Amino acid sequence: MDSWVRFNSQSQAKERVLRAAQYACTLLGYTLQKGGVAAELHKTVTQLEAHMSLTRKLLRLGNSVEALEAAKRAIHLSDSVLRLCLTISHLNRAMYFACDNVLWAGKTGLISKLDQDKWSQRSFRYYLFALILNLTRDVYELRLLIECEERYRASKSPPSAYPGNNGPADHLSSPSLPASPAAVALPVMSAWLRRRLHLVATVLYSNPPLLLDLLKNSCDIFIPLDRLGIYPTGKGFVGACGLASSVLSILTIVHPWLKLKP
Amino acid sequence: MDAVVKFTNQSQGRDRVFRATQYACALSIYLLQKKSSERKDLVAKLKSLEATMSAGRKLFRLGNTLNSIEAAKRTMQLSDPVLCLCLTVANINRALYFICDNVLWARSVGLIRDIDKEHWSLNASRCYFFSLVMNLSRDVYEIIQLMVQKARKGHFRQKMDQHLSENPEVAEVVIPQLDAFLFLLLESLKSHPAVALDTLKNTCDLFIPLDRLGIYKSNAGVVGFCGLISSLIGIVTLAQPKLKIKP
Repeated sequence: MDSWVRFNSQSQAKERVLRAAQYACTLLGYTLQKGGVAAELHKTVTQLEAHMSLTRKLLRLGNSVEALEAAKRAIHLSDSVLRLCLTISHLNRAMYFACDNVLWAGKTGLISKLDQDKWSQRSFRYYLFALILNLTRDVYELRLLIECEERYRASKSPPSAYPGNNGPADHLSSPSLPASPAAVALPVMSAWLRRRLHLVATVLYSNPPLLLDLLKNSCDIFIPLDRLGIYPTGKGFVGACGLASSVLSILTIVHPWLKLKP
Repeated sequence: MDAVVKFTNQSQGRDRVFRATQYACALSIYLLQKKSSERKDLVAKLKSLEATMSAGRKLFRLGNTLNSIEAAKRTMQLSDPVLCLCLTVANINRALYFICDNVLWARSVGLIRDIDKEHWSLNASRCYFFSLVMNLSRDVYEIIQLMVQKARKGHFRQKMDQHLSENPEVAEVVIPQLDAFLFLLLESLKSHPAVALDTLKNTCDLFIPLDRLGIYKSNAGVVGFCGLISSLIGIVTLAQPKLKIKP
C-alpha cells in the first residue's frame, strides 16, 4: 500500500498508467470492431480513449521545460556519441511536447482556428526522430558491451576454439578433400551467426536496463510510423505496441534500477 | 526553473496548479459576465478551459481513495485523542468523497449510465463538507492550545501589559478582554504561520460546498475567488514544506 502511495504521488507514474489505459482502449476498440460488437460499446471505448488522450495532453503541459533541462544535462556527458544522441533526442522531445501543447490548446478551444492534422503530423515527426536517436544510442551501448564481452571471452579461452579462421593453410594440408566454397561457407556462416546471436543474447540478459529500453523504443517506434503513414500497421498492432511499451516504462518507474542511465 | 520542474513532478503540485487555473477561470467568467455581455467568445474559451481542467482533474484523482485510506490509517495512531479523532474522520470523509467523485467520472465518460448524477454530486459535496468541518475543528483546537501555551509564558505577559497600556483612549479598546484575546490570537498565529495558513485555506474551501449544498448561497464569483485563494495557499505549502501543518 505504501508503494502505491509513493507511485501515485509521482506525476510521471500517473501519466504512464493513463497511457497504458489509453492504448488498452485502442486495442480493445480494434478487437470489438473485428468481433462485430454493438456500436454503443465501441463508441464508449472510443470516447474513453479520446478523453484519456486529451487529459494526458493536459498532464504533459510542463514537459517541454523538463526535456530542455534534460538536454542541458546531457551536454555534459563525456562519451561523444552518447552526448550527441541524448542531447538531440531530448531537444526533439521538447519540440514534440511543444507541438503537443499547441494541439491541446486547439482541442480545448483556446486557439480557435488550428490545423490539427498539420500540428499532429509535426509532433509525430519529432517523436519519430527522438525514438530513432534513442534506438541509435541503444545499439551503440549494445555494441560497446558486445566488444567488452568478446574481449573477456578471448582472454578467458585461447583462440584455437574457432576452427574456421585458420585461412589457406587448411586447404593446403588436406588436398584430398576439394570441398566447394559454397558448401563450406554456409555452415561457417550459420555457426558464426549463431555465435553472434548467442553473444547478443548473453549481453542483453545480463543488462536488463538496456534490454528494457531497447524493447520499449522498438515497440514505441511503430506508433509514429503508423500515424505518419510510413509503415501502416493498423490500430490493433499500434494499441498492442503502445500498451507493451507503457507497461515496460511503468516497470522502470516501480524499479528504478531498471532505468537505463544516463 | 529546476525548482519549477521538481514542483510539477509531484502529482499534487500539478493538481493544485490546475485547480488554481480552474477557479481563476470561474472567477474571470463571473467578472466578465457582470461587466459586459460582449466578450462572448472569451467567456466561451474560459468555460471550455474550466471544463477541461475539471474533467482532467477528476481523471487524475482516480487513485486518491487509497491515499486517503492510508492517511486515515496513519492518523489513527496519533497520541493526542482530539487530533486523532478529527483527522481520522476527515480522512475517511475524503476517501468517501473520492469514491463519489470516481463514480461521477465514470458517469461522465459513459462507463456507468443509469445513476442519479445529482444525488451522487450532492453526496460528494456532503462528504467534502464534513471533512472540511473536521479539519477546521482541528485548526481551532491547535489555535486554542497555542494560545494557552503562549498565555502561560512570562515574557508574553509583559508584552500584553505593554500593549494594553499603550493606547487607552483608542476607540477599539472598548472591551479590554476582547482586545487582550485578539492580541493573544494574532500573536499565536504570527508565530505559527502553518496553522494560520491551514485555517485560512479550510475557511476559503468551506464556501464551495456551502454554496453547492444550498446552506449558504453565495455566487459563482465568491466561490471562484475562495477556490483560487485556497489553491494558491495549497501551492505555497507544497513549495515550502515548512509552511505545511503537521501532522
